[in-house]
Amino acid sequence: MNASLSDKLLNRLTYVFLIGVSLIFLLPILWILRTSFTTKAVAYQIPPKWFVTPTLDNYRAIFSNNPFGKYFLNSMVISLVSTLIAVFLGAMAAYWIARSSKGGNFLRIAVLVTQMLPPIVMVIPIFLMVKSLGMLDKWETLIITYLSFNLPYMIWLLIGFFETIPKDLDEACEMDGCTKMRAFTKVVLPLAAPGIMAAGILSFLLAWNEFLFALVLTGTGSRTLPVAIANMETQQGVMIAELCASTVIIILPVVILSLFIQKYLVNGMTTGSIK
Amino acid sequence: MFTEKRKSFLIFFIPSMIVLAATVLYPLIYALIMSFTDSSLKRKGLGNFIGLDNYTRIFHDTHFLGSVWTTVVFTVLVVTLEFAFGFIVALMLNRIRFGKKIFFTIIIVPMLITPVAVGLIWRLLLHPDLGIVNYMLSLIGIEGNAWLGDAKLAMFSVVMIDIWHQVPFMILLLLAGLVSMPSEPYEAAKIDGAGRLQTFWMVTVPLMKETIIVAILFRAITAIKTYDLIFVLTKGGPGTTTEVISYHIYKQAYTFLDTGYASAMSYLLLLVIFVLSIVFMKVSRSQPQA
Repeated sequence: MNASLSDKLLNRLTYVFLIGVSLIFLLPILWILRTSFTTKAVAYQIPPKWFVTPTLDNYRAIFSNNPFGKYFLNSMVISLVSTLIAVFLGAMAAYWIARSSKGGNFLRIAVLVTQMLPPIVMVIPIFLMVKSLGMLDKWETLIITYLSFNLPYMIWLLIGFFETIPKDLDEACEMDGCTKMRAFTKVVLPLAAPGIMAAGILSFLLAWNEFLFALVLTGTGSRTLPVAIANMETQQGVMIAELCASTVIIILPVVILSLFIQKYLVNGMTTGSIK
Repeated sequence: MFTEKRKSFLIFFIPSMIVLAATVLYPLIYALIMSFTDSSLKRKGLGNFIGLDNYTRIFHDTHFLGSVWTTVVFTVLVVTLEFAFGFIVALMLNRIRFGKKIFFTIIIVPMLITPVAVGLIWRLLLHPDLGIVNYMLSLIGIEGNAWLGDAKLAMFSVVMIDIWHQVPFMILLLLAGLVSMPSEPYEAAKIDGAGRLQTFWMVTVPLMKETIIVAILFRAITAIKTYDLIFVLTKGGPGTTTEVISYHIYKQAYTFLDTGYASAMSYLLLLVIFVLSIVFMKVSRSQPQA
């Protein structure tokens, strides 16, 4: 009797605590969302106006006054293309590593080590190389640079996915006389498709959120969203409402995409270190 | 003629390795060479070979040593607090039956946001005059602060913001560990009449040991590399109170243009990360797979 009463109490407390925690995580984001729909004047008001009539002015403003649309496009193209290349190359390399008996372990560790590299180590030499090649501020430059973290990440994730597919399946196909490539595309790829999709989204997010390389390697031409919003603040003072709208734009694709791959998130975000 | 095996090696494996050699290996070697030169952005080429001068200079550089200390303080604070808080939330999430999925979805959101946006969100919320935080505090009679502009508070604020951003990651990892635990030891503990706290210390913690070590190490490695958040929140300031190593190296290269010296510092950072990574891999591989 006593025990079940304390159980009930503990359950209640747990829910109260979890609701509190959720609010701490959620409220700042909701406040930014709210402010992005207010007029400039209201955004500055302290004490704040709690009930506002929403307006899309800020979104219109950032896409028309600023070259924000261009930066959005830059971010989209760079993240998308580098992810596609990483998926294409990474899937093949991962398949080869997953199916090879010797050397596999060493390669796995090598791939994981690249994930640990601090970006600041890479950014100085890459900047100097890019500069001497006259390739600063170009889409291609960021696309290729992003492969330095996207490709190993992709290989690492996909090794895990391919290993869950029984070896016998593609070996049977090879027994029947098809090439390794055919076994790969006809047998393994269709089975691994959900995993590849999730890995692709994770690597897209990595590129979409990347800041340091973009900061150093781009000018106004190929600037990406993270650099653009970091600059927006320093250039124009505090333009609260528009800054909030820009922040919402940068967060939105990330949150939507992640909801699709929730069950892969744990493994993906920890580079598969915990299964 | 190539054998079938060699051909598949060439098609499947080599293209990725070429890309990685060009984008990872070559820059790493370039930085290593540069760390032994007086290379600078002020002139062309690699500069003169000066042996270990950059490395000896590092250990007399009080600014650098200051940034090392700042990084250590930052890392220890965020990892400990995130672990403690993350573990509590993970345990609670593991307890409940209803609404687990909703809580989980809400809780992971901050982790997904790019650090730049996290920095901007909190700069707006913590703005001394226009921010909502100071206003809310004033309602309950607490005087507001310049959270990020005050040398005494800046580190505290940055740590709090990092916790908001990264604790979901800790929760995710620890929850994954809790979910995959066997139920037998708990039943045994119950039969033996162990209390809640006793069960936690005698059953949960020992069983979670590897997961805990992996989570802490992994988070420590990423915390040492922190850069974006600092850049947006404080730019290392006020003064150098929040100037972590990565930001210090960035400044050395792009404000003082001293790329040779910056490379030497970055290699030292690399070494530390490398050692931690090796420990991390040893631990995470010895972990029994659930």
